[in-house]
Amino acid sequence: MKNLLKALPRAQGLQGLWLPLLVLALWEFTSRQSAAYAYAFVPLLDIWHSLLGLLVSGELLTNLLATMRTAMVGLVIGGSLGLLVGGLMGVSRTVDKLIGPLYHAVRQVPLLGWIPLIGLWFGNGLLSKVLIVSLAAFYPMVLNTYEGVRNVEKRFIEVAQVLKFSRWQLFTRVQLPGALPSVITGVMHALAFSWISTVGSELLFGSGPGLGGLMQTAQAASKMDVVLVAVASIGVIGLIINVGFTRISRHLLRWRHAH
Amino acid sequence: MAINKLIATEFLRDRAVLAISPLLLLGAWTWACHAGLFPEQILVSPQRVYEAGVELWDSGELAMHLEKSLSRLAIGFSIGALVGLAFGVAMGLSKRVEALCGPSFNAIRQVPTIAFIPMLILIFGVEETFKIVVVAKAAFFPIALATLDAVKGVPKQYFEVARVYRLSTAQLVRRIILPATVPPVLTGFRISLGRSWMVLVAAELLAADSGIGQMMEMGRQMFRIDVVMVGVVITGLVGFVLDRGFRSLETRLVRWKLP
Repeated sequence: MKNLLKALPRAQGLQGLWLPLLVLALWEFTSRQSAAYAYAFVPLLDIWHSLLGLLVSGELLTNLLATMRTAMVGLVIGGSLGLLVGGLMGVSRTVDKLIGPLYHAVRQVPLLGWIPLIGLWFGNGLLSKVLIVSLAAFYPMVLNTYEGVRNVEKRFIEVAQVLKFSRWQLFTRVQLPGALPSVITGVMHALAFSWISTVGSELLFGSGPGLGGLMQTAQAASKMDVVLVAVASIGVIGLIINVGFTRISRHLLRWRHAH
Repeated sequence: MAINKLIATEFLRDRAVLAISPLLLLGAWTWACHAGLFPEQILVSPQRVYEAGVELWDSGELAMHLEKSLSRLAIGFSIGALVGLAFGVAMGLSKRVEALCGPSFNAIRQVPTIAFIPMLILIFGVEETFKIVVVAKAAFFPIALATLDAVKGVPKQYFEVARVYRLSTAQLVRRIILPATVPPVLTGFRISLGRSWMVLVAAELLAADSGIGQMMEMGRQMFRIDVVMVGVVITGLVGFVLDRGFRSLETRLVRWKLP
């Protein structure tokens, strides 16, 4: 028995379980101290029950899908606009000088700091959330596309000039493929930021379906168990998005490792 | 002399081009207000925003909110940065600490700070503690991660060289470990400072009795769009100054790195 106990935590990867287990034990212990503590530190069993309840009623899934939809719409709008603006800024010095300063000035405002203004202009609904999320996806896309196009190797462009490529050929055959790795990094950042900002905007606008809204109502009703289930779901989905896209991008960029 | 002058005018012209798009925006904004395209509750002129800013400054209100926000940022960031630094070093140097804490660290890192706000409100209430904890959490993760990477990234050969030269531990830290790790750690500091600022503004928007975020939220509730816009400008300026300040600190501290 003693040997077993000793062997278990020493096994690779299992050591990491000690800390969460300790935290859970402390949590459960605290929850049993008094009713006042149980208010914030909900017993573990209650959390489990509310997870099951949210799953069975479909509430979790509905809110999850709503959040993912907002994130997707914002990502597509903000991402494609970012690709366009960043690409134009990268290709043309004039566009860069015209748009660049405005872009960098606007970017200084913390993303969620726009929320009161957007709220006044467009209300608390889906449109406002999508706007914030689009902005979140727009920034990294512009930056990475711009840098990608700018950092295409000079000799490739010289070859294109020797071959007398047209402006359009130069862009589609040289600059765009050259910028692709950087663009994909941009998509990855845009994905992460749009996920975070969707949750943030749902929380701050506090209306409509979504994991942020679920958390906000649960917090107002002091339902820590629901808040925790929502927090965990947000983390898990974020992880899945991150890992999934890393795989995809590695697959897309496999030609880079060929040489 | 003539050439100098030519370069100077060219430099000025370059600078002037950069101002075109912000000036155009300002012009369009002013024009839209004068033409009465939007009702007063939706859009106020740049002049009104400026006047509101001056008014808030003269009454001492703006300074009060700014002071509140910045002190929360300073306290929370210092705590998060110190703990993050210590944790990063411990994880980087000790395999055991990494095995124990790494998995939990990586799991919690997946959840955006903003999603923790409802949970932290339930645990700490809406007072100061909650805001400081939120800022500290936002600061902790990027700094811990940057420190961990930096410590692990010190090439083995450096330690071998140190052994050959018979450096004492103090010398090893001062001559090798510090210079090798300071640049990436500083970058981690800068990134986390920006994130902390955004998270603080969001937390103040949600629950606060003072601070720039609360000033904006009040402005939104009272339909004072000029106050909200002053808030947007101020949060942007603070973000910009923090970022620039840290960047200049980076170049100052690692100036030996430049050729």
